[in-house]
Amino acid sequence: MKYTVYINEFEGPLDLLLHLIKQNDIDIFDIKIDEITTQYLNYIHEMEKLNLNIASEYLVMAAELIEMKSEILLPNHKAEEDEEDPRVDLINKLLLYKQYKEMTNKLKELEENRRLMHSKEPSDLKPFMKKEIEETPIDVSLDDLIEAFNLFLARLKDEKPLNTKIIKKEYSVPKRCAEIKNILKAKKKVEFNELFEEYNREYIIVTFLSILDLAKKQYLNITQEYNFQKIYLTLKGCD
Amino acid sequence: MNMIAALEGLLFLSGDKGLTCNEIAEILEINIEEAEKLAHELSNEYQEKPRRGIQLEKYGNTYKLVTKSQYNVFYEKLVQLEESKPLTTAALEVLAIIAYNQPITRNQVDEIRGVSSSHMIRKLLAKELIYEAGRSELPGRPIIYKTTDKFLDTFGIKSLDELPPLKLIDDEEIDENDLFKSKYVENE
Repeated sequence: MKYTVYINEFEGPLDLLLHLIKQNDIDIFDIKIDEITTQYLNYIHEMEKLNLNIASEYLVMAAELIEMKSEILLPNHKAEEDEEDPRVDLINKLLLYKQYKEMTNKLKELEENRRLMHSKEPSDLKPFMKKEIEETPIDVSLDDLIEAFNLFLARLKDEKPLNTKIIKKEYSVPKRCAEIKNILKAKKKVEFNELFEEYNREYIIVTFLSILDLAKKQYLNITQEYNFQKIYLTLKGCD
Repeated sequence: MNMIAALEGLLFLSGDKGLTCNEIAEILEINIEEAEKLAHELSNEYQEKPRRGIQLEKYGNTYKLVTKSQYNVFYEKLVQLEESKPLTTAALEVLAIIAYNQPITRNQVDEIRGVSSSHMIRKLLAKELIYEAGRSELPGRPIIYKTTDKFLDTFGIKSLDELPPLKLIDDEEIDENDLFKSKYVENE
């Protein structure tokens, strides 16, 4: 058997089943689950061979068909008379689906008919809208204009970036050490915080390093009476 | 003042956006019944006069002027650019299910089709053929969908009542169908 129609052309497993039923020219009410299951599975296998993605819904339907088939094939010991035909559910689903499927052709027809009638874009009425902004009457002399232009030039001057030179101050520990020594020589005793007159990161770091350096080189005495009290610096040998 | 002439002008300006009864009534300062009557008269006039190339159509609640379809051979030469693609079979299928069962949830659509329809529903929403009409009282309060006036326009029908009747399963089939479900017991 040759499969000339591919699964992508179907809207779902129900569509595929309807196709198979139609192909076999059988009545929906007389579905032979056995046959239809075989054909359905053949179809799915064929698709797999072609490496086509099979939506999970198709596999669910395959499982349901197999279940139904086995239910029918296995002898039913209970053999209860009022037991439902396992096909009923499927048949009802197929009938319901078929209804809407048939309707799509009618809708297509209606759509085509409608497309024979044309309309146009709504007219652009903006040009006729009342202008919101009232124009102010022009009542200026040439002098006013010149004045305005001069003001503009002045403003332009103000807005120009100022001529500035950017100087990068460089700090060095030896230089700062000498400075601190001079301060101490002059003042004898200096409070720790006093040395940090400038508040920028580099200055603070360099000053702190200088103090440590001076202390290490035994130039400095650092004293503090209690914790969190003021720290005083004095030059060694100048006590 | 000829109100019909006034209405014709309004409809001409509004183009494919159309005008609802309410809008017509408001602009012309008349009540809705009068507006409907005017529209009806204008529509008749177009229909009665074969010399007119346009007609007045009503889709849902919206009136709009469209060209007469029998002269499409000429008109289509002008409007080729407008070419919008017709709906796919899948789209039509979902639309049909929604149209005949609205309000309906996505799950109920899936149930009938036996395949997921969420993608298609999103597309139809984007095309404004359906809209979210609130939520159902079912568990999880799923969104329910209905068709729009644009849906009616697309298929050229005045109202949902004009949808072609569903071809119900033949009587014979129904009987057989009932046999499966019937709980009838003889000699009760």
